[in-house]
Amino acid sequence: MTDVAHMRSRSFSARIAREVLGAWGARIGLGWILLLAAVAVFAPFLASSHPLLLSEAGQIRSPVLAHLTTGDVMMLAAFFGVVLLWRVRTPLYRKGLILLGLVLLAGLAAGAWLKPPQIVIYEQYREAQRAGAYDWVLNTPIPYSPKDYLRDVGQSGLQGPLASDRHRHFMGTEENGADVLSRMIHASRIALGIGFVATGIAMVLGVIIGGLMGYFSGIADIIGMRLVEIFEAIPQLFLLLTFVAFFGRSLYIMMVIIGLTAWPGYARYVRAEYLKLRRQDYVQAAVASGIPLTSVLFRHILPNGVAPILVAASFGVASAIIAEAVLSFLGLGLVDDPSWGQMLSQAVKSSTFNWWMALFPGGAIFLTVLSYNLIGESMRDAIDPYLRKSGG
Amino acid sequence: MTMLLDVKNLRTWLRSGDGVVKAVDDVSFSIAPGETYCLVGESGSGKSVTALSIIQLLPQDIASHPGGEIWFDYRHDSGERERINLLDREIQVRRRIRGGRIGMIFQEPMTSLNPVFTVGEQLIEALRVHYPQLPGAEARERAIDALAQVQIPDPASRIDDYPHQLSGGQRQRVMIAMAMACEPDLLIADEPTTALDVTVQREILRLMRELQQRRGTSILFITHDFGVVSEMADRVGVMRHGKLVEEGAVDDMLRAPAHPYTRELLAALPENLRRERRGVVVPFAAAGASAPSPLLEIQDLKVHFPVRKGLFRRVVDHVRAVDGVSLDVNPGQIVALVGESGCGKTTLGRAVLRLEEPTGGSVRFDGQTVTGLSRQELKPFRRAMQIIFQDPVSSLNPRLNIATTLIEPMKVHGIGDSMDERIARAEEILQRVQLEPASLWRYPHEFSGGQRQRIGIARALVLDPRFVVCDEVTSALDVSVQAEILQILLKLRDEHGLSMLFISHDIGVVEYLSDVTAVMTEGRIVEMGPTSQVCGRPAHPYTRKLLAAVPRLRDRLAS
Repeated sequence: MTDVAHMRSRSFSARIAREVLGAWGARIGLGWILLLAAVAVFAPFLASSHPLLLSEAGQIRSPVLAHLTTGDVMMLAAFFGVVLLWRVRTPLYRKGLILLGLVLLAGLAAGAWLKPPQIVIYEQYREAQRAGAYDWVLNTPIPYSPKDYLRDVGQSGLQGPLASDRHRHFMGTEENGADVLSRMIHASRIALGIGFVATGIAMVLGVIIGGLMGYFSGIADIIGMRLVEIFEAIPQLFLLLTFVAFFGRSLYIMMVIIGLTAWPGYARYVRAEYLKLRRQDYVQAAVASGIPLTSVLFRHILPNGVAPILVAASFGVASAIIAEAVLSFLGLGLVDDPSWGQMLSQAVKSSTFNWWMALFPGGAIFLTVLSYNLIGESMRDAIDPYLRKSGG
Repeated sequence: MTMLLDVKNLRTWLRSGDGVVKAVDDVSFSIAPGETYCLVGESGSGKSVTALSIIQLLPQDIASHPGGEIWFDYRHDSGERERINLLDREIQVRRRIRGGRIGMIFQEPMTSLNPVFTVGEQLIEALRVHYPQLPGAEARERAIDALAQVQIPDPASRIDDYPHQLSGGQRQRVMIAMAMACEPDLLIADEPTTALDVTVQREILRLMRELQQRRGTSILFITHDFGVVSEMADRVGVMRHGKLVEEGAVDDMLRAPAHPYTRELLAALPENLRRERRGVVVPFAAAGASAPSPLLEIQDLKVHFPVRKGLFRRVVDHVRAVDGVSLDVNPGQIVALVGESGCGKTTLGRAVLRLEEPTGGSVRFDGQTVTGLSRQELKPFRRAMQIIFQDPVSSLNPRLNIATTLIEPMKVHGIGDSMDERIARAEEILQRVQLEPASLWRYPHEFSGGQRQRIGIARALVLDPRFVVCDEVTSALDVSVQAEILQILLKLRDEHGLSMLFISHDIGVVEYLSDVTAVMTEGRIVEMGPTSQVCGRPAHPYTRKLLAAVPRLRDRLAS
């Protein structure tokens, strides 16, 4: 009997991680998300009209690096920060702080040092290469930037995949003549970014409000629950449409609005967890030791109640991606920047049905949302004691 | 005489993860008709698994029996008897025996009845399984009769009650009625009274003895409590690590145990623990001028919980958990608070520390009023007053290692100047509760129940408190571990002058540990005085009833 009890109490997070990774759905989902994240981080090196390296009169230079923006540098810093911190044994919240500091530092440094050209001329390298100005050129795997409309080539847009022999477009071109694969790659940044940022805002708000509601209960709970009900009554999509109409199209406004309308769901989960956990002996012991309220709330209670919030978050990311895609599809998304939903809308715009504009972005949205749902589902199964295999 | 049950070299192995736990390893014993056989052992000794093996309730996919036989004297419905081995019989026969010839009662009366069916429906269902042709009216008649047998008042109307309408003791009576409804030859009772109060336990034990005498049922009684053994058993078997280390008639076993482990277990009982008092023994201060000024003064403390009803959550009534309690704790004194579950003793302990907001009255600590202080003003008192909890599983945060648990309070109160100093202090305190300093870097799930309870004590001690509330600190522990914890507490009092409010339901522990005992019922203290006086010559009728209900070894040995 003791051994069984011992097994059950093996480190909770380790068990959840093992169980989630053991499920096939979650593995596939996680694989796709990781692939997407890698593609998003290295997008400038994967698809760009600027060559990776070129040699001009014996001098080697890298136009890609010269065109890196502050955002690119911050993304790269975040990626390498995560890889470096992965194996370091420090508490999770400290890892998060280090990562945040690293990203901000990289952003500040990039803002100060990097001077990308104000006006980007995409075709300059192609023209110079054709004129024989370079000794050799090393291009990115897809030698087109997402906003490179190939003006020098003079092709009309909306060509199917591999339609032209001179310029190979693996997924065809869109209505302005830009390469679809390149736009897909760069659009993954928006998809991931809006998912994470919007869900992050919603989670922070939900945890703080829900935590206070649950911990103090009574009056705070009554007021908080009414607030939750009010926010739940606001239709997210109509609010988004209204804001886009008033304040123009901005990715950041979209993120904030999705975040502001999604928090009540998290608040409900957090409240329930806090109501349950605040009566636990270890929380009472922390209070009896005179430990400050913030530490009790976020260090002693939160890590024990975080599992259901993470499950909700993975579903939340999926719905945020869909919300952005819907807006872009309706033509109210970003103007010039690539986005899967906006590409999808081009599939039906012209008189012909452009299948490659429907299949590739649509498939990407489908796979990403499916992945998050699969991960969320297997996390929910892992933390639900009733679904766990008996005796396992 | 043929034995009713003959367990021969039983082995039960449980698959756990990749390994195998030998939960029962070569156990042999037998039970005669009409006999009560007690299996005693500490948690994890395999006594429950033995019982579940007999009644075949272990999950098939994890349990296996690599060896052994369980011979049962099966009485057919025709009255003909046949000796069968339960382990190699087909499932239909086993199912007919289970419930029909072997009944079982479980420990937890709160969860062993289905909350969505009435008591009667569940009783009749149990009857129907074994007497399918029983007509409805007669089944109900028999169910009412069964409830009357277990002495449930007004059984004809209680039969339509749902389980939540019954008290814990009544539910356990219903469980017994269900187990006895089909008139089994063998009743297996797995810690049937562990979750109950002593006065209820006494009634349940008496009921079981009466039913046994009337019906001639044999009982396999599983318990960890030697007091219960001394009241119930004809013969006793002591289990440890899946093996039966010793068995014999109860009087021989209790008087002259042969095996060292049995002797150890008996010596660890609080009533057998030798109390070595060192240092100052603070006498109970009767209201007199010469009495030392008390460290903690509780005056007319009240904690009422509002009962809210209706749309606007109006307060319609109050639950008076603590209703006007006055109590003093002198420096270096251990004051025990005794009472049955629901008497408000835990709430009182929490209200003293302001973990529960008192409704009225005052708590003074070292001459200063604690009630009504704000969070900030309370901080210095938090350091001086600490609490140790009952449940070693829930009292430590599973996500923090021991170092963090111990060092954070020190940091908050500015004890120690550097991290190294605090770590050194934490290590020293761990040694004081007899734990390795290296335990600091481990997580709670890596420790056993007794070790966790010591960590709980260490957490209270890091702040160097002068007063500690001990809320049922030993009731979740095995006797041998309980003895160690009690000795640690006594040592702390003797060497550091720690005062304690020791909340407990266990009279034996209280007698061993405390200087002053207060008996609490229904939110009030009915009797208070020096422990020897309260436990030796109780004045209040409730105290007398409580003390009489405690099963003791020495009563049996004296008779």
